[in-house]
Amino acid sequence: MDQSKIRNFSIIAHIDHGKSTLADRIIELTNTVSKREMTSQILDDLELEKERGITIKLNVVQLKYEALDGEIYTLHLIDTPGHVDFTYEVSRSLAACDGAILVVDASQGIEAQTLANTYLALDNDLEIIPVINKIDLPSAEPDKVKKEIENIIGLDCEGAPLISAKTGQNVRDVLEAIVHKIPAPKGDVNAPLKALVFDSYYDSYRGVVVFIRIKDGKVKVGDKIRFCANGSEYEVTEVGVKVPREVKRDSLEAGEVGYLCASIKSIQDVDVGDTITLSDRPCAEPLKGYRKMNPMVYCGMYPTDNARYNDLRDALEKLQLNDAALTFEAESSKALGFGFRLGFLGLLHMEVVQERLEREYGLNLIATAPSVVYKVHMTDGSVIDIDNPSLMPDNTLIDYIEEPYVKAGIMVPNQYIGAVMELSQSKRGTYIDMEFIDDNRNQLNYEIPLSEIIFEYFDKLKSVSRGYASLDYELIGYRKSNLVKMDILLNGEVIDALSIIVHRDFAYQRGQAITVKLKKLIPKQQFEIPVQAAIGNKVLARTNIKSLRKDVLAKCYGGDISRKKKLLEKQKEGKKRMKAVGSVEIPQEAFMAVLSLDDDNK
Amino acid sequence: MTEHLYLHVPFCKTICYYCDFCHRVYNRDTVLKWLSEVKKEIDSKNINRNLKTVYIGGGTPTSLSKEELNSLLILLDPYTDEVIEYTVEVNPETLDEEKANILLKHKVNRVSLGVQSFNENLLSMMNRKHCIKDIENCIELLRNKGISNISCDLMYSLPLQTADDFLDSLNKLVKMDIPHISFYSLQIEENSVFGKKGYTALDEDTEASMYEMGRDYLVKEGYRQYEISNYCKPGYESKHNMAYWYYKDFYGISLGAAGKENHMRYQNTRNFDEYLNGNYIDETIELSKKDEMFEHLMMSLRLLEGLDLNEFKERYGRDFKDVYKTELEKSLKNNDVYIKNNHLVCNKREILNTILLEFMED
Repeated sequence: MDQSKIRNFSIIAHIDHGKSTLADRIIELTNTVSKREMTSQILDDLELEKERGITIKLNVVQLKYEALDGEIYTLHLIDTPGHVDFTYEVSRSLAACDGAILVVDASQGIEAQTLANTYLALDNDLEIIPVINKIDLPSAEPDKVKKEIENIIGLDCEGAPLISAKTGQNVRDVLEAIVHKIPAPKGDVNAPLKALVFDSYYDSYRGVVVFIRIKDGKVKVGDKIRFCANGSEYEVTEVGVKVPREVKRDSLEAGEVGYLCASIKSIQDVDVGDTITLSDRPCAEPLKGYRKMNPMVYCGMYPTDNARYNDLRDALEKLQLNDAALTFEAESSKALGFGFRLGFLGLLHMEVVQERLEREYGLNLIATAPSVVYKVHMTDGSVIDIDNPSLMPDNTLIDYIEEPYVKAGIMVPNQYIGAVMELSQSKRGTYIDMEFIDDNRNQLNYEIPLSEIIFEYFDKLKSVSRGYASLDYELIGYRKSNLVKMDILLNGEVIDALSIIVHRDFAYQRGQAITVKLKKLIPKQQFEIPVQAAIGNKVLARTNIKSLRKDVLAKCYGGDISRKKKLLEKQKEGKKRMKAVGSVEIPQEAFMAVLSLDDDNK
Repeated sequence: MTEHLYLHVPFCKTICYYCDFCHRVYNRDTVLKWLSEVKKEIDSKNINRNLKTVYIGGGTPTSLSKEELNSLLILLDPYTDEVIEYTVEVNPETLDEEKANILLKHKVNRVSLGVQSFNENLLSMMNRKHCIKDIENCIELLRNKGISNISCDLMYSLPLQTADDFLDSLNKLVKMDIPHISFYSLQIEENSVFGKKGYTALDEDTEASMYEMGRDYLVKEGYRQYEISNYCKPGYESKHNMAYWYYKDFYGISLGAAGKENHMRYQNTRNFDEYLNGNYIDETIELSKKDEMFEHLMMSLRLLEGLDLNEFKERYGRDFKDVYKTELEKSLKNNDVYIKNNHLVCNKREILNTILLEFMED
């Protein structure tokens, strides 16, 4: 294939600026050519998938585009996830591209993730094409946004396409820009194979399907390939491209983006970011790899019904086949019985996994509050990683504790700067500086403990700025903090699943808030339940859940049996979502209660 | 054979602020249409002519004019030859001598009086239209007419109500020697005026304290708490209500009424137009033996005497202790229930719902 007619690109954007809609329009527009040339029915395929309710993971799609110059180009659109949890995945997708479309909302302008994604694209030496979207909105100010992009990012917006992905207006301009501005790949087809692995998924028939960008050389069915990172070797059983349906091909060569299968049994055997080469003619040096992505957030998940422990394990094994970022290992809790410690990229990832486990596998789960990984320096000089607060060693054995910090960039309209600074301060943030964006907005830069970010910072940020602030963050390493484990006791017993790590200066306040919140969440039972927050033996806060004295007895005339029964059934439903810990019934929400607390009373 | 009948009168002169029951403000034309539809509904059911108890509730049955009230009671005359207890709900300000005479003429022998409170501020806050004098006059009138089987309803946990207010109301009824007293806590129903105005009830603890105080006071005064919310002097249990607690069959007539016949429960429509078009029943629920056993337990545990285990076995052909083996063991151990004279008795009826959960299927 003639590389000069290939273009490999991604679309990057802040969330809700119209990335997916633009991708849809591009697929639609290019499909006219596809139909003539390829007989495949892209849209029908998509439609079918949509009908069946599958989330389409459009990791890559090959498009044919007949440009105004009369030439037919092969475009590979490589998808990027749109959430800050998955920044790492964005960067690996970008590594497979030669250019990126930067979509900016014509009324919102630049947001935190617009910047973050742009920097990622620049890191990968990509040609960036700014595109101003949503020009059909009455509030659209394309000229202002163009200036913003020029001033802040320094991208030339002369001739930047002004489009409405929703109505399809001017979308062809985007395709023309891709063809004329993004450079064609310049691989050496005769050199030894060098292919970048940028994604993978598990298929029960073919094993792992590996998505690759061929930098140099060529790969075909029957080739013996080697993964550079771990040296494992396989025989290629299938290669192909996605249109977006998978279409088999005989070979893939330099400049192309596609997939290969090689009877690989587990997704854990494939490192995304790795380089594939040929066993008998290896490349001299692998491509610059990725650092391995480690989970940032951990939590325990337990079935409310202990008998379903094995079902949970089966479900996790199945999920992991397609989610290399998910880790789990068995753990047990005195309070919750047997369950698993799961590791995630971030909170969204955690929510998605929990929802899939409950929905797709019919499990009722208790999730404990998420925790970051603490580095605990012991008095004997050793260092241990703690991702489960209840396992924190005794205070006397600890020299000091380090926790992960992030650099957070918060883009915020001027009138909310005060509120955001106050919030960041209260979350133990350290102010770094403020960057001028335009007359109305600034970017605040803070260094904040990751644990504070996952404990409600984002929600609070949205509420103090009425939704106008946007956030991006990246891990910057570990810092020493004055941290301590706080236990929660119910009925005099430590509930290990409720233990959290807190900053000592905030411990008293957190303890008060948690006990009050638990009092609200745990329904009254037939006996009085003391709720205490304690550090070691020292009780910081205490309250009591009074015993249940009287049920709600609906005033309804005696014959209304249905109404009485409905009341009972409602109560029964509530009980199902609770976990019996010793003699106390604790609702699911209580385990997350240790997270979000302050001013819950408003 | 079904021996009990409930008839709902869906009219009121005014709307009480706590109420979301099936009712409509009195209107003469609508009442006439309704009366003729009730006749049709009664005729369409092959009702047992030897009813033991009849209960006419509402709404406000005595919001009907005397002619209308008379017409309504005539509809039931063919079935009341052997009636033992015939109750009509009365609002104190709506009864006069002529209406009382009509009740008597049709064998009504028990009146349930909506007293609610003896505090006139609370009465007017609820939009009740009677005053203390009306209550006293009404009771006197009934007694003069020979109706001594009187039940009075009170409400507690009302906004601004104090424990003393409530105790005072109970005390006044006791002094008047009222043989049957019921009291209910205010529930703020979403569709009531209180609900729409955003009123909140008293906190749970205050409510529970009022309940305990009322219960202990009446028991001290010689009343039996024969059911969770019902107290009476010996022999004055409501026979009609007992039929519910014994989980017997009963007819439900008119808008919004519920009934149970022949292993079926049904709920009549609450929609006036539907009802006047002859579509009486809104929902029918077929009861499996399992449903019946649980519902029987649910109703009977409300009683001081509890669930009759002999009768249970006779009715369902199975021993209660086998059907609910593990649940029973747990509840006995927990001291939630006990067995006495082959009756299963609930130890803490005020938290009956919580106790019943143990017996409910998952």
